[in-house]
Formats: sequence, structure tokens, C-alpha cells
Amino acid sequence: MRRSVAALVIVFIGAAVMELATSGTYLRYVKPGMRWMLLAAGVVLIALAVTDVLVDGRKKPAQQEQPVAMPEDAWRDAPWPAGRRDEEIDHSAHADHGHGHHGLPRTAWLLLIPIFALLVIDPPALGADAAERQSPVSSKPANPKSNAWMADNSQGAPPVAVPVTDYAIWAVWQQDTMKGRRYQLTGFVTPAKNGVWYVTRIGITCCVADGTAYMVEARGQAAPPKNQWVTVTGLWAEPTKRPDGDVAALTVETLKPVAMPVNPYE
Amino acid sequence: MRPVSTPTEVAEKPDGTAKESTGSSVAFTATLILLVGTALFGRRLFTGWFTAGGIRTWATMFVGVTIQAMPFLVLGVLLSAALTAFVPASFFAKALPRHPALAVPVASASGVVLPGCECASVPVSAALMSRGVTPAAAIAFLLSAPAINPVVLTSTAVAFPGKPQVVIARAVTSLAVSMVLGWLWLLTGKGGSWFKMPKNRHAHDAGKFDVFRSAMLHDFLHAGGFLVIGAAAAATLNVVVPRTWLDHVAGNLLLSVVILGLLAVLLAICSEADAFVAASLSQFSLTARLAFMVVGPIVDVKLIALQAGTFGPKFAVRFAPATFVVALTASLLVGWWLL
Repeated sequence: MRRSVAALVIVFIGAAVMELATSGTYLRYVKPGMRWMLLAAGVVLIALAVTDVLVDGRKKPAQQEQPVAMPEDAWRDAPWPAGRRDEEIDHSAHADHGHGHHGLPRTAWLLLIPIFALLVIDPPALGADAAERQSPVSSKPANPKSNAWMADNSQGAPPVAVPVTDYAIWAVWQQDTMKGRRYQLTGFVTPAKNGVWYVTRIGITCCVADGTAYMVEARGQAAPPKNQWVTVTGLWAEPTKRPDGDVAALTVETLKPVAMPVNPYE
Repeated sequence: MRPVSTPTEVAEKPDGTAKESTGSSVAFTATLILLVGTALFGRRLFTGWFTAGGIRTWATMFVGVTIQAMPFLVLGVLLSAALTAFVPASFFAKALPRHPALAVPVASASGVVLPGCECASVPVSAALMSRGVTPAAAIAFLLSAPAINPVVLTSTAVAFPGKPQVVIARAVTSLAVSMVLGWLWLLTGKGGSWFKMPKNRHAHDAGKFDVFRSAMLHDFLHAGGFLVIGAAAAATLNVVVPRTWLDHVAGNLLLSVVILGLLAVLLAICSEADAFVAASLSQFSLTARLAFMVVGPIVDVKLIALQAGTFGPKFAVRFAPATFVVALTASLLVGWWLL
């Protein structure tokens, strides 16, 4: 890859990363805490590319094309001469491999793929399609989160808003504190077989690659369209027994379509 | 992308500066037009092309892994370029014991100082090698840094509250694995013909800042390209492999250790987050989850791509299985001892 093209690609990557971080789109892919790291990475990349163009622009063209002895690329993996650890080994013998004539790796073109993915596909936040690939069964929490405060709410009180990720676990594993109370959940619709549908929220700990679906079976209401975000209120219901475990459930009393929250994950 | 640029690159030979800069500006203009064009009209042109749920989920995973790794990759290439440009080779000669077998444990332990996930450690260890650090020690550092740094150990402690033995087991196992592989490297002929030594990038006539700039530019483009391959692989496996198959193997200790090890390879979760994922795999024994946390930072599809790019594919096809086997064995032993 030519140096000027490389600088261009890097500017685009830096700009894309900063655009994601400033517009809030980054929340579709990573945790909110990543924002400042993304901004810093974008600034560093753009600064790198801009200085490169500025400094090289002042140099003579002949000097500019001189590769600064870069390691060769992996695509052509020529066996190394015997004294390969000698620092003084002639770089020119290998400097061309996979680098065109300009010392920069051709693999760099691959960096355009995520840019195109962002610009063309505009990947949405994980939704029902990702949730369908996972099991709705509530797995036993390794370190149960206390919901002792629930006891302060009398059983006839108005619905308590709780995260879907908590309800999906509490409703199965801390049933005693949950029984007889009303809850309000916000999530998207994941339809399943036989009219069953789930209020779903994806929990992420780092990025979408570790996204885990938390699903609560909604009873008593027909399924809204797939991926529709809804806020439901209702009564705790007996979990659905399945051969592989229990699925949290809620008897829905009210259902309201809502817009996707700023941070789609919990 | 490639079809647009490659012909221009192949077509002209470096036989004249005038022709060079024309070709260069053609490639530049073509890339610029393509990028700006996609930015402006990409979505309109391709409406209706990428609507299938699976493809969109894949794209989200792919972009997610890339974006997540990007700051760490930038940090890694920044550090490796600084090591290349500003730290004299004599520093490492003084800091590490001269005998390679003794340098390995020192390098393993110094992995504590690089706070980041595994994407940062590949370029840094390559820079260490090019600065004259014995490859065995650099490999030990490569394997220990992403697993035993304070950020990772803290997140492990948070993910397993009230179970400090998990944190200790993780640190001990990862340290042991990195040392064993460093020594194994020394025993098995130090790479022979299949290891691509990262070169010294000190151009003797260039200033320190120029070296820094060139090294960083090169390392970023290089590692970035391989990161994209790794992210695509991780996204594909994430979409294709259903997580429900895990539930059937949780009962058998040996099988569950192997399966969670493989899962760590396939999912390519960054080492700062894998403890939380491990904690959520509660149907598995602690030993199996330890294997997940030990394997994840040192072998995964994204790392294999990065290592193939940095040290050569022949290195990667030997190193990854060796690391995997040693990591599983060590996890079983430490799990049996501590957990």
C-alpha cells in the first residue's frame, strides 16, 4: 500500500471511530465506558496520518519512497537465511514481500472492510436475531445480586421498574422475594414457536461478542412485531419448566411500544 | 477494494519518480473517491442487499469486535513504536538475565505492567524481539501480559466475588503457561526455519521521531489488517455456533475443560471481559471456567490471525495448538490443586 493511501485509510478509520464515539452509535457495539478510549484512539490515528503526510510532503520524492526497512508481510513467508538474528542482515532482500514497492503491508486494505460495513450495512444493535440463537433458560447466577429492597414494596404497590437482565434471574432463582408483585420491564420482542414471545434484553460485559440474551416469557398478550421495543408491566408468573432449565415469565397487564433506549444493552 | 487498487500497483514498476508519483496519486484518488462515495451513497446503493437477520447480526459482531479492539491495538502499536524508537537495545540487555532460560520467568512476571488486552501485546512483543530480547522471553511476555495485568485480575475478582482462589488460580496458571512455553521454545530448537523474526526497524539514517512514526504506521496497518481477519472469524463463529450445545457437556470434567477451552478460542472475547463471561457459564465447574480464562487471552481466532501476521503463518500453526494443550493441562492441574 502506498504511503499516501495508507494515510487516507487511517484518517478514515480514525474519523469513523470518532464519529461512533461522538454520535453515540458506539453504544450498539461496546460498553459506555469505552467512549474516551475510542476518542483517544481516533485522535492518535488521525494525528499519525496527518503528521505522516505533512512530514513526507516536505521531503524529496526519492527519499519519500525509501522504505524504512519494514518487517516483511506474512503472505509470502520465505525461509530466513541462517544468520537471521543478525541485525545487520540485508533488508532489501526481503523488504518487498507483500508490501508492493513501498514498504507498507497489503493487508492494510482489509481495514476498509469494517469501514464499508459501517457505511453500507450500518449494523444495528443486537436484537431478536441474536437472541433467537441463544437459550431463554435462566442460568443460575454465580454471584446472586441481592434484591432485598423488594421487601419494602408492599404487594399491591404500583409496578417496580427492574432491568430485564435482573428479572430473568430473580424470577427463577429468587422466587420468594418476587411472588405476588408487579414489575415493569423494557426490552425488545423475540418471538418463538406457538405464539410464545419473550421480552428480551442483551447484556454485554465488554462488546457485542460476549452479548448474552436475557429473556422473559410474556404471557397473556399477543406478540408484537419481532424486534419491536416494548415496556410491559405485569405480575410475576410461575417460570416455564423446560428440560434444560426454567424460563422466567411475567403475566402482562399493560403493553406499550416504545423507542429503543439510548443504550440498548444492560 | 482490491480490484480497484491492485492493478495500478502491479502495473507500474519503480523505475521513475515521475511515474511513481502519478501512480501514487491515481491510487490515492481512486481510494478517496471510493471512500467518499461509499460514505455518501453507500446505504442508498445497497438498500435491500444486507437485510437478512443473520448477516446484520454478523456485521454487528464484526464491527463490535473490531471497535472494541481498536483502542488496545492503537495503544499496543504506540508502545511498540516507542520501544523501537526511544528505548536503546542495551536497556533490555541489562534488564533481563543473560541466560535465555532465566530471562523467561523475568519476562513472564513483567507482563504485569502492560495494562491491556491481548491485541496490545502482539506488537509489543514483536518490538521486544526486534530490540534484541531473546524470542523465548518475548513469547513469555506475549502470553503473560494479557492474562496477569492488574486490570484483568481486578475484573476477575469482580466477576467472582468471595472467591479469591479463582484470581490466584488464574494468575498462577497463566504465569506457568507462559513460562512453560518460553522454555519449550528453547528446547524445541528456537523456531528453526518456521519462525519469522520481526526485524529491527531502526533505519540508521533516520531520526528517532521518523522511526517512531514509520514503525507505528506500519504496525498499525499490518496488525489492523489481521485484526479484521480475526474479527470476521470470531463474528462468524459467534453467529454459527449455537450456545445451547454447551449445556450437554457441562457434566464431564475433562470434556467440559476442552469444550470451554475451544469456546474461548472461537469467541475471541477480550481478556478484560472474559471473566464475566466465565462467571455466567455457571453450569460448568470452576476448573473448566479457569481453562476458559487461561486459554482466552493466549489463543483465540483473532490472536492467531495477529500472530500469523506478525511471526508468520508457520509459526502460528505450531504455536497455537501447543499453547492450547499446555493451557488446558495447566488449568486441570491448578484447578485440581486450588479450586
